[in-house]
Amino acid sequence: MERNQTSLRGLAEDLVSYGQKFGADEVEATVFETAEFSVDVRLGRIEDLVEAGSKYIGLKVIKGKKTAYATSSDLSADTLERLVKNAVRRASCAHPDEFSGLPSLQKSETDIQELRLYDPAVPEMGPDQKISLAMETERIALAEKGITNSHGASFETKAVNTILANSNGFLDGYEETFCSLSLGLQAGETDTRAEGYWFSAQRHFEDVEAPEEVAKKAVARTLRQLGPKKIKTQFVPVLFEPMMTSWLLGFLFACVSGIAVYRKASFLADSLGERIAGENITVVDDGLLPGKLGTRPFDSEGVSTQKTTVIQKGELLSFLCNTYAARKLGLASTANADGPGVGPNNFYLQAGKDRSTEMIRSMDKGLILTRTIGHGLNPITGDISCGAFGLWIENGEICYPVSEITISGNLGEFLTNIAAIGNDLDFRTSVCGPSVLIKDVLVSGE
Amino acid sequence: MNEPKLTHEKIFPLGRDDLESVLTAALSRGGEFADIFLERRVNHVVNMEEDIIKETSESISSGLGIRVISGDMTGYGYTNDLSLARVKKVAHTAAAVAEGGKGRQVASFPSLFPKAYSYPISRPAEKARLEEKISLVKRTYQAAQRVDPKIKKVKVVFLDQSQYMIIADSEGHIVSDRRPLVKLTCSSISEQGKRREAGFFGGGGRVGLEYFSQDLTPEKIGQEAAQESLHLLEAVDPPAGEMPVVLAPGHSGVLIHEAVGHLLEADFIRKKTSVFWDKMGKEVGSHQLNIYDDPTIPTFRGSYNIDDEGTVPKPTPLIQGGKMVGLIQDKLSARLMGMPLTGHGRRQDYTCIPLPRMSNTYVDRGEYDPEEIVRSVKSGFYAHKFQGGQVEDSGKFTFSVSSGFLIEDGRLTAPVRQATLIGSNIDILTKIDKLGSDLEFGLQTGTCGKGGQSVPVNDGCPTIKIRNMTVGGRL
Repeated sequence: MERNQTSLRGLAEDLVSYGQKFGADEVEATVFETAEFSVDVRLGRIEDLVEAGSKYIGLKVIKGKKTAYATSSDLSADTLERLVKNAVRRASCAHPDEFSGLPSLQKSETDIQELRLYDPAVPEMGPDQKISLAMETERIALAEKGITNSHGASFETKAVNTILANSNGFLDGYEETFCSLSLGLQAGETDTRAEGYWFSAQRHFEDVEAPEEVAKKAVARTLRQLGPKKIKTQFVPVLFEPMMTSWLLGFLFACVSGIAVYRKASFLADSLGERIAGENITVVDDGLLPGKLGTRPFDSEGVSTQKTTVIQKGELLSFLCNTYAARKLGLASTANADGPGVGPNNFYLQAGKDRSTEMIRSMDKGLILTRTIGHGLNPITGDISCGAFGLWIENGEICYPVSEITISGNLGEFLTNIAAIGNDLDFRTSVCGPSVLIKDVLVSGE
Repeated sequence: MNEPKLTHEKIFPLGRDDLESVLTAALSRGGEFADIFLERRVNHVVNMEEDIIKETSESISSGLGIRVISGDMTGYGYTNDLSLARVKKVAHTAAAVAEGGKGRQVASFPSLFPKAYSYPISRPAEKARLEEKISLVKRTYQAAQRVDPKIKKVKVVFLDQSQYMIIADSEGHIVSDRRPLVKLTCSSISEQGKRREAGFFGGGGRVGLEYFSQDLTPEKIGQEAAQESLHLLEAVDPPAGEMPVVLAPGHSGVLIHEAVGHLLEADFIRKKTSVFWDKMGKEVGSHQLNIYDDPTIPTFRGSYNIDDEGTVPKPTPLIQGGKMVGLIQDKLSARLMGMPLTGHGRRQDYTCIPLPRMSNTYVDRGEYDPEEIVRSVKSGFYAHKFQGGQVEDSGKFTFSVSSGFLIEDGRLTAPVRQATLIGSNIDILTKIDKLGSDLEFGLQTGTCGKGGQSVPVNDGCPTIKIRNMTVGGRL
C-alpha cells in the first residue's frame, strides 16, 4: 500500500482511496491517536504508573449495499492492505441491506474552537504534578477519623486525536483532552465495612475539583453508610441523588436508542409521539455544549452534532439514531453514531427548581438512594430490579443508613411518578440528571 | 543448550535479542523485575439480524506492554508500534517508577520453560472459511425463528478469536501461546399482545468448529434462546422479601463468582480491603462447601496453558469444608505476600497491567438429590437463569435473575421474571444448608470485569439451597 505516512489525515484518506480501488462503493475510515497517563496511589505510595501512546484505525466498506467492518492497531502497510482487501471480499458474503450506506455530505456550521474540547494545559502537566494531586487527595481523606482503609486515589489524563474520512468527501478531525481525579475509601472494621468513592472528570484541568473537595466528598459518602440497618419491604418515596438519576438516564438512553427500537428491544419502541413521562420531564441529547464530556463536533459517521429534544414535557419526541437506525425507522440521524452502534452525546434530564434538602424535608418516611449494585435493567420490558444502598428518612430527617435492600419497578412508572426535580444538574458525566424524588417505589428488605 | 521452541515467534517483528535488550532498558533505573507481553489478537465476527447477514468484521489488536516492578510499585507502558526504537522508549518510560535505583542485570534467555502446549482442537475456526461460519449463524437463526410465530426478533453473533502471545521476563523466562476462543450466541424477542420478553443462549470456549457438531449444535442454541423468551411471556412478577432460595445448577455459579471468588483475589487480601483478608484457615461458610478455581479444564472459556504472566496454572482450592484455604494469585501479590503462584495473573490485552483474576470457578457437588432439595422447601424462590452479578469488597453482593420459578409445597410452579438476590457473603455462605449431587457449568459465554478489564470466565455449581435470602421483586 502506497501511503502518506506523514499525517493521520493522510492515512485516513489513503484508506478510503484504497478501499475504492479494491472495488468498494463506499468507504469510511477513522484514525485515532491517544496519549494517556495514569497514576494510582494507595496509602501514600505509588501503586501503578502508566504512560502510553497508541494509534488504531477503524474501517467500514460497503459494496452492493453489503457491509463489512475492520479495525487494527497494526498500522504496517502490509497489514492494512490485507485488511482492506479482506473487508471488501467479506462484504460480498453479507446480504444486501437497502438501509446501509454512508450519510450524504453536509456542510457543518460548527466552530470546533467554541466547543472547548481541548485544554493545552493537560498534555503539558508533568508527572510530578499529577502524582502529587493523587497523593494529596488520599492524604486529606486518610486523616479523617473513621476512615479505616483506602482503595487508592488516581489521577488520569488522556489526549485523543480523531480523524474521519469517507468516500462522500468528508474529511475532518478534532483533538480533545480529559482529566480526572478519583478516590475510593472504606470505613469501619473488617466485618462491618462501608464503602464509598468520589471523582471529578473534566476536559479542562481548571474545571477538575480540587483534592480537598474530592477527598471531603469521598469521606462523607463513605462514613454516611457506616452501621446500616435492614428495613421492611414497603413502597416509599425515593430521592435519587444526581449520580443515581444519571444511572436511570443511562437506562433510558438504552431504551430510546434507535437500534434498540428497530430491534424491538425497547419497551418504548411503539411509543413515539406518546406521553411516556410526567409533564415535568424534559430530556435532551446535546452534542454542542461547550466543554462538556459528551460534546463533539460530529458523530462517528461525520454527521454534525445537534441538540435533540428526546422527551418534551413528558411526550416522547424522538429516538436517538445513527444513519442506519434512522433509515430503518424512517427518521433522520440525530448524530448519535458511535462506531457501528449508537451512543449518547450529552444526554440529560433538564434541571428543575427544587432543592434536595427540601425534598428530604417533604418526606414523612422514605429513602435517599445513594448507590446501586448489580445489572437488573431490562430495556425490553423497562423493568428495574437492583441491589441498593441508601439513607432512611423519617419525619423529614435522615435517620440511619440501609443496605441489603433492592429497589424495583419499571422505568415507565418511574418517569410518570417523579414528584420533584432538583436544581443540581452538574454534567459530572456525559449521561446525567439532577436529584429527583420518585413516589411509590418498592424497596425490598426483610 | 536447547533453544526452546516458540511456535509463534515469527509473527512478531522482535527477536529474542531484542527482547533481552528491551528488558535491560526496563531495569536500567533499578526495579527487581520486568516483563514484556507481546500480543497479536485477531477477532472475526459474523452478525445476523433482521433476517440478513448484516455484517462481518475483522479486528487486529497488536502491540506490547512492558512492566517494571520496584517493591510494591508498578511502572507500565504500552505501544502498538513494535519498532525496536519505540519499544525501548516505552521500556525507559516504564522504568521511571524505579527512579534512583541502580541498573540490574537481566538473566539471559533461554532458561528452558515452555513445554508442549495444546488446546484440544480438530478444526480451528481461524482456518475455516467465512461461508462455514455464516452457515452456523444461519442455522442458529432459523432454529430460533421456527420455534413459534410469537418469536418476532432474532439476533445471532458468531465470534472467533486467535490470541498469539510471547511473554519474556528479566528472570530469563520466555514462553509463548496461541489461545483460540469461539462463541456463538442467540438472542430472541417474543411478543404476545403488548408484552415482549427476551431470551438468550449460547456456547463455545477454547474449541474449534467441531464443537458445534459434537457438543452443542446451532439448532439447540437457537431453540433454547427462543424457548426462554416464550417461557417468560407466561412469567409472573417475582415475590419480594426474605425467603428460602434454591439456586439451579450451572448458571448459579455466578453467585459464587461474586460472593467468594472476587474477595479471594490476592490484591484485595493484601490490601486488606476484602472482608476475607483475616480469615485464612477460618470457617467462612457451611462445612459442605468446597470451592475451586481451575484454569486447566480442557475446552473451557476461562482456561489457558499459561496465564498472562507466563505462569503454568494449577487447579486452586479456595474453600474446603467451609474453611478458607487458598487465594487467586498473580506475580506481584504472591511476591509481596511470600506465597506460591497459582497462575491467575490475567489481563484484557497488552494495554493492561496483569491482575489476579478468576478463570473457571465452581462449587463442588454435595450429597443431596436435587429433587429432594426442592421438595424440602414449602414456600420459596427457585433461581434458574442469571444475567450477572456484582460485589463490593465489604462482601455485599447482588445478582440478577432473568428467569426463575415460585416454589410452592415442594414443587416448582409459576415461572417468574426479573428478580434480584442480595446478601452479604459470609452470611449467605453460612446459610447454605443443602448442596446437590448435580454439578453443572454455566454457558460458555461469560465475561468478568475488574478494574476496567474484561476476561473470559466460566462458573459452575450444583443445586444449592440457601435457608433465607432477600429477594427483590414485586408486591
